[in-house]
Amino acid sequence: MKERLTRKFLPPDIFKKSAGDTYYLLPFKFHRITSKKEVLINEVGDFLIVPVGTSALIIERKINREDHEELYADLIANFFISEQPIPALAEVLATRYRTKKSFLDYFTSLHIFVITLRCEHTCHYCQVSRVTADKSLYDMSKEHIDAGIQIMMQSPNPHLTMEFQGGEALLAFENIVYAVKRVQQEALIRDKTVTFVICTNLAPLTEDMLVYFKQNNILISTSLDGPESIHNKNRHKPFDNSYQLTIDGINKCRKELGEENISALLTTSTLSLQYPNEIVDEYVNQGFRNIFLRPISPYGFAKHNEKKNGYETAQFLDFYKKALNRILQHNLNGYFIREDYACIILKKMITPFPVGYVDLQSPAGLINSVIVFNYDGKIYASDESRMLAEMNDFTFQLGTLGYSTYKDVFYGTKSIEISEVFLNEALPGCADCAFQAYCGADPVFNYATQGDMWGHRPTSSFCQRNMEIIRYLIELMDSDKKIEKIFRNWITGKN
Amino acid sequence: MIQLKTKGRPYNIIGPIVGRVTRDPDVEAEILLVERDSPFSSLPRFKSIITPLDIGNQIDKPSVCNVQNIDHLCNGDIVVVNTDGIINTLYRINSHHNFLLLTERCNSNCLMCSQPPKDRDDIPYFYDIYTQLIPLIPKTCSELGITGGEPTLLGRKFFQLLQQLSFNLPETEIHCLTNGRAFASSNMANNLGRLSYSRLMLGIPVYSDYYQLHDYVVQAKGAFDQTIQGLYNLAKNKVRIEIRIVLHKLTIPRLPKLAKFIYKNLPFVEHVAFMALEYQGYTPHNIDKLWIDPVDYSKELSEAMHYLSDYDINVSLYNSQLCTTPQDLWQFSRKSISDWKNSYLAECNKCSVLEDCGGLFQSNMMKHSDHIKALLQKS
Amino acid sequence: MTFQISDHFLHLTIDGRLYNESIIYKCFYWYTREFTVNIDLKNETSYNISLQPISKRESSYNWGEVIERIKRDLIDFRLRDIITKETQTIKELIVAKAFAYYDTEDPLTSDVSDRVGFDPENV
Repeated sequence: MKERLTRKFLPPDIFKKSAGDTYYLLPFKFHRITSKKEVLINEVGDFLIVPVGTSALIIERKINREDHEELYADLIANFFISEQPIPALAEVLATRYRTKKSFLDYFTSLHIFVITLRCEHTCHYCQVSRVTADKSLYDMSKEHIDAGIQIMMQSPNPHLTMEFQGGEALLAFENIVYAVKRVQQEALIRDKTVTFVICTNLAPLTEDMLVYFKQNNILISTSLDGPESIHNKNRHKPFDNSYQLTIDGINKCRKELGEENISALLTTSTLSLQYPNEIVDEYVNQGFRNIFLRPISPYGFAKHNEKKNGYETAQFLDFYKKALNRILQHNLNGYFIREDYACIILKKMITPFPVGYVDLQSPAGLINSVIVFNYDGKIYASDESRMLAEMNDFTFQLGTLGYSTYKDVFYGTKSIEISEVFLNEALPGCADCAFQAYCGADPVFNYATQGDMWGHRPTSSFCQRNMEIIRYLIELMDSDKKIEKIFRNWITGKN
Repeated sequence: MIQLKTKGRPYNIIGPIVGRVTRDPDVEAEILLVERDSPFSSLPRFKSIITPLDIGNQIDKPSVCNVQNIDHLCNGDIVVVNTDGIINTLYRINSHHNFLLLTERCNSNCLMCSQPPKDRDDIPYFYDIYTQLIPLIPKTCSELGITGGEPTLLGRKFFQLLQQLSFNLPETEIHCLTNGRAFASSNMANNLGRLSYSRLMLGIPVYSDYYQLHDYVVQAKGAFDQTIQGLYNLAKNKVRIEIRIVLHKLTIPRLPKLAKFIYKNLPFVEHVAFMALEYQGYTPHNIDKLWIDPVDYSKELSEAMHYLSDYDINVSLYNSQLCTTPQDLWQFSRKSISDWKNSYLAECNKCSVLEDCGGLFQSNMMKHSDHIKALLQKS
Repeated sequence: MTFQISDHFLHLTIDGRLYNESIIYKCFYWYTREFTVNIDLKNETSYNISLQPISKRESSYNWGEVIERIKRDLIDFRLRDIITKETQTIKELIVAKAFAYYDTEDPLTSDVSDRVGFDPENV
């Protein structure tokens, strides 16, 4: 049976949109990542790694579909250029942009309750704890707990996280039990789901507590700074072995609560910076599947000492890269372990989905995603905000439990003032930065290290650190497809 | 090759008659198949008679006589008796691969189209026969395909047929092939959304992340933009979507980039189907532009499929043979060729994985990989 | 562009018609880590800029490297300025569409019909 081919087939040229070679630019930014390569990043965070000078060629209209066939197609397909003044798929770009920012949709989710300031450790980087038995002075009162819960329940977010911190949170275990019970009741009435997290050094852990955690689905977050020598130097418990207590506690929690319900965080001190491999190996030896290489806290830094800060940033970056490479090596050898800070950035780069991480988002995490209720009833915009208060700076104190209303706290003068500086899209230095979509704004950090909420990017360790980490991740991905695959596994969680 | 059509001499057929066939006069059906000359009284229950016998002037109802062959008709099959005496099988009771061809009209003209379009308005005819067909389909039918041409060209009638399907066959999964272009109109997409038809899934092709290449493959200017916009409108209306990609020389080079495009821009899709080429329709005419031995695209195919699978998007490989597919993709390979099109080479009889292999299209017997080879059991 | 080095200072004169105020400020913002930067309007068409190293070192500063960097950075910021100007409208459109409360859909203007005739608005 012969098909009558009455419809003539047309050559590829017919299907061009523009008659000549004119194209229009879509919003994008560029940045050199090595001496030979630069990265182009569009409005929704898609990136293309290209030879240095490509951005200039594109902007100067020196590329065309005949001589640069593949690049031209990549630029069109990835929304860097358009053959129409308004791209036909503007709706797609808009939807993707909205999706990227949708971590903001329901406003504040994380509510930190500093349930007590009491602690029996003397971690040298800690700004806040008190080694004392005076409960009345340093424990959160039931009235304040109630008031905090009241405010938490007024968040428009249907999913809340209630995180107990200290001091050492478990020293006020009875108050935690009280708070959790109240919240469970309220959550039922208000139709909200609440995730409970307790941050603890695990020293006070008992069997009863484990039973309680299991019954109430409580997640445990603890600190493991590395192998015994490093951990104990950082986190000294007088007359005891903090490391051993932590490891024992982790194992008990894994057994009773399940591996997924206990996580460990790393705090890097100046000492830690010399032992990247040892710290990574410790996490691997303890069977962890993730490690969070959080940057060193600036609240131990001398304020306004740019030289010292600069040096320590360089040291941290060196530590980070060494540790990251050690982690990658473990992965290449077949042991899945994820670096969480890199993962946050990678998710922003590779997936179309929203990524909310309070320390690296725009609009910033403070108020929008997190709020802190201190043991003394004071309300703070973020965890670092209350640390500033410990040094007698109350710039980021938003109110008092029992006196301030939800509106006072979230929409009050201070909050509005902070909103002027919490978008990196509008900060000098950040507004044109290629990595804007992957980075964030941190007014508290700026204020604490540089004296004002705007911050000064060229001397900001937040900027130096993040720009270099992001650049390094891009360079790694481009260098080796195996590393790209590992990064993808980290995002998807697949081995 | 399975037969779906036969012909005879028509008597008193004013319009197309759709009905279930049976050889047993006591069974509930609309069309009686009379094979032997035996005394029978006029059976008012039946709408029509089909017979190879020459008894046209003895029958008092619309009939087709002197039919060449009715052996292919099983009792329970549903056919249409046309005014010209042609009998088309519309539904086969023993098949898992039934489909409704809604029209041969199409607004695209794909280089590899296996069902080349005709510019004749056949919609009134097809709408009529399917309206008759749908209530007769057994409720136990688990899945039904809708194809064409381009089904959405039926416009209002497209939605009416879907409603009939939804009403008559509430347990049946419907898989509708469409280029999705008409859904660039939010009117079309909203109409579909209003049906809230959760058993319906649309299979929509996207051949490249680069509009010019896609438009060239489908031979329609503006098609890519329309299809993508259509996909967005459908997603807004919570319609279930599958993306289909035909693997040939034009689509292979950018295949991994297409996978990334789908993940980033269309993450809401339920399934992505990668389909090897059928040697049918326009394909032979355009074979020089299209042919690439499947063995030569293993790398791109593997990269694209694993990328999507890693991100938890379901993927499948259709129309491929296991011997020409990299082993890491065997988990995605499906036996997808409709039974009435399926074939194997003589070489295949020795193959240890013949049971699991999709085989070839009958049409591909003339054009297939140079590397088809039995995989012998490892001792 | 002219450069002059004297007494631990680098002085530049930049043509303001080629590199506007915005470009100059954005570019030299990043140099304030290493230098104290002074930007003055020389006349209607040019800027005088001076850079003085913050860390006062006695030995001569590697000005050659700095000058190369400045030339490159000025070009980069100029390119960024072009992008910003050319894409301002589309950027505003995308953000407006992204966060509008109402339906911002544009009606279908292109043709989805076959040769027989089909109108998607008429279903």
